[in-house]
Amino acid sequence: MDPLLLRVLLVGVLVLGVLALGWLWRRRDGAVRTAAGDARLAADHLAAIGLDLRDAEAGAVLLGSPTCAPCDTVKAVLGDLAGERHGFRWVYADAAEHLPIAEEHRVLRVPTLLVVAPDGRIVARTSGVPRHDDLRRVLAEVGAAA
Amino acid sequence: MTQDLVTDADGRLVIDVRGPRVGAAITSVVLGTALIVQGPVGTGLVAWQWLAFAIAAFAGLRWSPYGRLFRAAKRRFDLGPPPATEPEGPPRFAQLCGFAVASVGLVLFAVGASTAGWVAVGLVLALSLLLAATGLCIGCELYLIGQRLRARSSARAGGGD
Repeated sequence: MDPLLLRVLLVGVLVLGVLALGWLWRRRDGAVRTAAGDARLAADHLAAIGLDLRDAEAGAVLLGSPTCAPCDTVKAVLGDLAGERHGFRWVYADAAEHLPIAEEHRVLRVPTLLVVAPDGRIVARTSGVPRHDDLRRVLAEVGAAA
Repeated sequence: MTQDLVTDADGRLVIDVRGPRVGAAITSVVLGTALIVQGPVGTGLVAWQWLAFAIAAFAGLRWSPYGRLFRAAKRRFDLGPPPATEPEGPPRFAQLCGFAVASVGLVLFAVGASTAGWVAVGLVLALSLLLAATGLCIGCELYLIGQRLRARSSARAGGGD
């Protein structure tokens, strides 16, 4: 085959492959993964990040970094939800300043959000920017159980 | 002209999030064309892209040729205010990653291992395409992981218990 045509094909395959990967990644990014296990945020970790769950229905900690642009988007989402549900408390924590938390819960990316029940049990987590409705549903479930 | 550039409270450059994606689209066209035509023209295009990466990574994104092109287009066609802004750090680091891999490619060309060189160019092309098409910037993610590793090693060096 003509080498030029072969290279055009090669670049075409590369483009399609990257687009497919990107599409898959976008679908996964921000997806709310509910956790059935009993992993929990330890009391000293809660104290370190300043998340007070007394009298709360649900809580969340957003692990981010100062130069992370999507973290600000997640903060806005959390602010909206806190306005809707008075029993919902959330805090922002710099992942680099709270490495024990990031390591214990295998946080590889920022922004990562951990949603916790009042007893500190992690009920859901997301990486990337979660959608309002997905988080609303999780918070409603936690609130109903509390 | 740099009058339309914005800095944050610490004097760091803050950029329009559309800028890196437009830049990545231009990079993809340049490297895709290079990969197809190859030969001296292809090598020249890779060398140009290497220079563009070097300027953006070492002089800062305010000097990036594609960034300047984007800002000129923004003024000329009135593209409106940025939908969001981001700090310069992560995308600038991504440009440094592009520079590193493009350097490897050029060195491989120089020693005659041109197939391996084109594989390196293909890698940069794939990452640029990913950013242009989906907004996912692998270099930026690496920067954030690197920041955390740095924080960890400085915590150790600090001799905390």
